[in-house]
Amino acid sequence: MRAMNKGEIRTLTGNAAAAYGTMLCRPDVVALYPITPQSEVIEQLADFHARGLLDAEMVEVEGENSAINVVTSAAMTGGRVFTATSSWGLAFMYDGMLQAAGFRAPVVMVNVNREMPGILAVSSGQQDMTSTRDSGWIQVVAEGCQEILDLVIMAYRLAEDHEIQLPVMVNYDGFYLSYLSEGVHLPSREDVTAFLAPLKEQPPRPMLVPGEPLGCGTHGILEGFVELRYKHSAALERAKAKFDEIDALFQEAFGRSYGGQIEEYCTADAEIVLVVSGSAAGTAKAVADSVNEQGAKVGVVKLRIFRPFPRERLIQALKGKKAIGIIDRSVCFGWGCGPLYMELKSASAKIGKAPMLNFIDGLANTDITKDHIKGMIERAQRAAGGEPFQEVTWVSLEE
Amino acid sequence: MVKAKRLPRVFDYLTDEDPFSGGLTLCPGCPLELLLRFTARVLGRDIVFVGTPSCSATVLYGQNRQSWHKLAYYSCLMTGVASSATGIARYYRKIGKDITVVAFTGDGCSADIGFQPLSGAAERNENFIYITYDNEGYMNTGIQKSSTTPVGAKTSTTPVGQNRRGNPNPGKNVPFLMAMHKIPYTATATLSHLDDLAKKLVKAKEKKNEGLAYIHVYSPCPTGWRFESDMSIAICRLAVQTNYFPLWEAERGQFRFTRKTAKPKPLTDLLELIGKFSHFTDEDLIVLEKEVEERYQLIEGMVQAWPLE
Amino acid sequence: MVRIKIHTAYEGGWSDATEPLLCLETGFWRSERPVLDTNRCTHCGLCALYCPTQCMVDKEEYFLPNLDYCKGCGICSRGCPQDAIAMLPEESFFDESDE
Repeated sequence: MRAMNKGEIRTLTGNAAAAYGTMLCRPDVVALYPITPQSEVIEQLADFHARGLLDAEMVEVEGENSAINVVTSAAMTGGRVFTATSSWGLAFMYDGMLQAAGFRAPVVMVNVNREMPGILAVSSGQQDMTSTRDSGWIQVVAEGCQEILDLVIMAYRLAEDHEIQLPVMVNYDGFYLSYLSEGVHLPSREDVTAFLAPLKEQPPRPMLVPGEPLGCGTHGILEGFVELRYKHSAALERAKAKFDEIDALFQEAFGRSYGGQIEEYCTADAEIVLVVSGSAAGTAKAVADSVNEQGAKVGVVKLRIFRPFPRERLIQALKGKKAIGIIDRSVCFGWGCGPLYMELKSASAKIGKAPMLNFIDGLANTDITKDHIKGMIERAQRAAGGEPFQEVTWVSLEE
Repeated sequence: MVKAKRLPRVFDYLTDEDPFSGGLTLCPGCPLELLLRFTARVLGRDIVFVGTPSCSATVLYGQNRQSWHKLAYYSCLMTGVASSATGIARYYRKIGKDITVVAFTGDGCSADIGFQPLSGAAERNENFIYITYDNEGYMNTGIQKSSTTPVGAKTSTTPVGQNRRGNPNPGKNVPFLMAMHKIPYTATATLSHLDDLAKKLVKAKEKKNEGLAYIHVYSPCPTGWRFESDMSIAICRLAVQTNYFPLWEAERGQFRFTRKTAKPKPLTDLLELIGKFSHFTDEDLIVLEKEVEERYQLIEGMVQAWPLE
Repeated sequence: MVRIKIHTAYEGGWSDATEPLLCLETGFWRSERPVLDTNRCTHCGLCALYCPTQCMVDKEEYFLPNLDYCKGCGICSRGCPQDAIAMLPEESFFDESDE
């Protein structure tokens, strides 16, 4: 717990917290391109650079597609890298993102969740993250500003780990967290450097070096391709336990733990459990507290990692519950429900017979209010009691 | 017969052995093959090629764990060539190592799908060499039109028939556009004038320390343009001699011809050798001649107004 | 546990040029073969310079193509200032014993 004595507390927005986290990790190459609600992240980093607090190559690219390619190639050449984007920008990056994952580039990228195009929106939603869930990236989600900063640090430890070598996307709700100011403990530079130092003791990953005969990005033929796909898939599976391990190491170094792949809040005795990710988890926990005071037995499972999907930990946390309410801040097109619900449902055989209810809420800055959550709990309680229930509820559209 | 006392001076530029395998999957007579081998020999072993799906990818990229050449390379998508080259160059700049990144693409990437990142990299003056081999179309995918396909030319997406007669547009003057970014070095070159090409490659290697060095190489395609495989070099030479592809260089917006043709040959000398122009009527010829003349006069004008000493 | 055949030690798509280089016997592509008249050759080197496959071997007095890789494009023949190289049909070099 010695780290808690160093560093300082500052009032930071979510964006600033992400920038501070990045700065403390000392990236070598940073690609900057603005998009609401992320622009403050790169502005803050540019300011750090100008003031001499960040010694990195700052590349003010002309588009997000270039941003992802700059950082991927720099990572394959051996550098620690960073970029940030959101929504449209993430979509524009998509081909480069697939390359980063397939190349096994340890890129760390902040994605400030904003509604994905289809309908123009400059507002919060997780559609950008869920639309890219098949890109092969690791996707983690923060609930508050402290967690944002901590997740960036943990992301480097995860991405660059020799057993993983995968790009990591750190997500947090745009508008709700990006511009929210909270008190954030800034660890000292030395402590962050010490936390990431074990990476240097690992076997070095292959790197692009002029004069050396290694070529990055060979053409995969038949089993050669299949083998690389398999290895990629296996690495994603390993990332689950690794994420739990890093959370424990973070606790030792900085005195803060978040539970690893999922946070289980009052779930031990709970009969009704809400599954949620992002800033809405805070609201859910507050409502759970208030109804539990009245005698209810409600717990909250906060999903912290979306890819790889924390199947085993979720099954363990939800087994034997009476009803499960799953809050989705995005839509799974073609299934008429949300993606978190759809994926959790595929594990339902192992979870048990508990009714699962899907609540689509919080799209495009429509608040997930305490009343909404109370309503979700009530529906789940009725379903637990054996009453017929509506599988999917678009909460903000219902009267 | 009297034996020559020494080999042509251009051989002195070939400082390194050919790092490519002996048998490459490129068409017989392909100028790109000559360009690849020549460039690698002139620039040396300490380079990183950045390539993209194209005719060059078939030999720049490996297959599974084997490679066609001994050099370091980075393969990426067409949208990402200039930006990937940027990332590599920037990281090496950060750690203080002087290396040469050579982005190597066809005209489809430079003029079309990869133009935005190329323009961005030029505006930021990134430290790498970008070589475009211009075969005036997307050849690897089946001879489709690109933004450097000349006006009137027949391609698989601008065919000749009742309703249309080849490419309707004059295309982009990519080397000139790059020179207008005021980068430290821009040049045109071709495979018939190898001494000129070698000098430009060496200069590009020096200039890349100041910023982006761009070389646009005219590289005829026997398969796509429909001419005999033995005519590749002759067509390059005629392109220069007819002023269809003048050889010039520019440094930060100041221009100079590196080869001036005193009496340019008629354009028909070049076109009659190439199948993609075989449907040309007199009207088609006038349109193309006008475009060639305007492009030449443009460079001539720049040389007069902003000469490179 | 799945046991997979390992083709490469790498996790990502790396190719390694310390492995044998990929190489096609492009000599099989030929329909014509360059044949040199050594009396006419002045060892000027233009054939070696312009050969796309760079397969010309310097024999001190003249250059000869490496027939394993020569694709028979004919650039050397067309470009030779002394007309010392003729492109002859590949069939004329087949031995009857090749059957």
